[in-house]
Amino acid sequence: MKLHWFKRAGIFFVPISLPGWLILAAGAAWAVYAFIDVDSRSHSVSDTLMNFVFSLLIIGAVYSLVAYLTGGSGSAREKDGPDSTGGS
Amino acid sequence: MTAFEETLTGMTRPGVPELKHQALLAQAISKGRSKSVLSLWWMSIPLYVTAMLLMKSAYMRNTTLMSNLHEFIGREKYAAALFFLIAPAVFIIINAASIRRIHYLSGGPGPAALLRRAWFNAAVIIVSVTIIIIYFS
Repeated sequence: MKLHWFKRAGIFFVPISLPGWLILAAGAAWAVYAFIDVDSRSHSVSDTLMNFVFSLLIIGAVYSLVAYLTGGSGSAREKDGPDSTGGS
Repeated sequence: MTAFEETLTGMTRPGVPELKHQALLAQAISKGRSKSVLSLWWMSIPLYVTAMLLMKSAYMRNTTLMSNLHEFIGREKYAAALFFLIAPAVFIIINAASIRRIHYLSGGPGPAALLRRAWFNAAVIIVSVTIIIIYFS
């Protein structure tokens, strides 16, 4: 069964259904938790940011993998016709 | 006579606005872009780690990027293997397959025309190869 929970817009996967929004909300909650966790153990603002960005990238990678596997393989402009110049 | 012409018009083969392989090609390009975007997210992690280690080597005078990388790979064996070896290898295969499909559906165009359609996939492959080289250097 082919799922349509996400569509791709540029380098982001945008949710287009309730399960997609729930996954995005879970990712955002995970990011907030990661920020609080990193901030409680860091010694400076730069220390917090460096470690938080790493966590954020991991969250983004996992989210994009889930979004791709649950229907994000088509772009938002797919129905309007292809852009043969390539790129995103 | 008029009725005959109308019948003849009705019997005419319906026009096909676009060929089937054009739709397939558009779909292949779109899927290829999605794969390259997915690859980009996963490639950003080793690139970020490399950038951080580069900054560390710049601020700590007695270390180099390579020594910091070797220290990181020794300390985080599984994570380093996942982000610097397995993920890039998988994305090289996926993007190469996408480029091959686009090449096939485009009717075997030259390198310039192919790159115009799949340059993002090619760029992801180059970045992935660079990350694997960094891992083994």
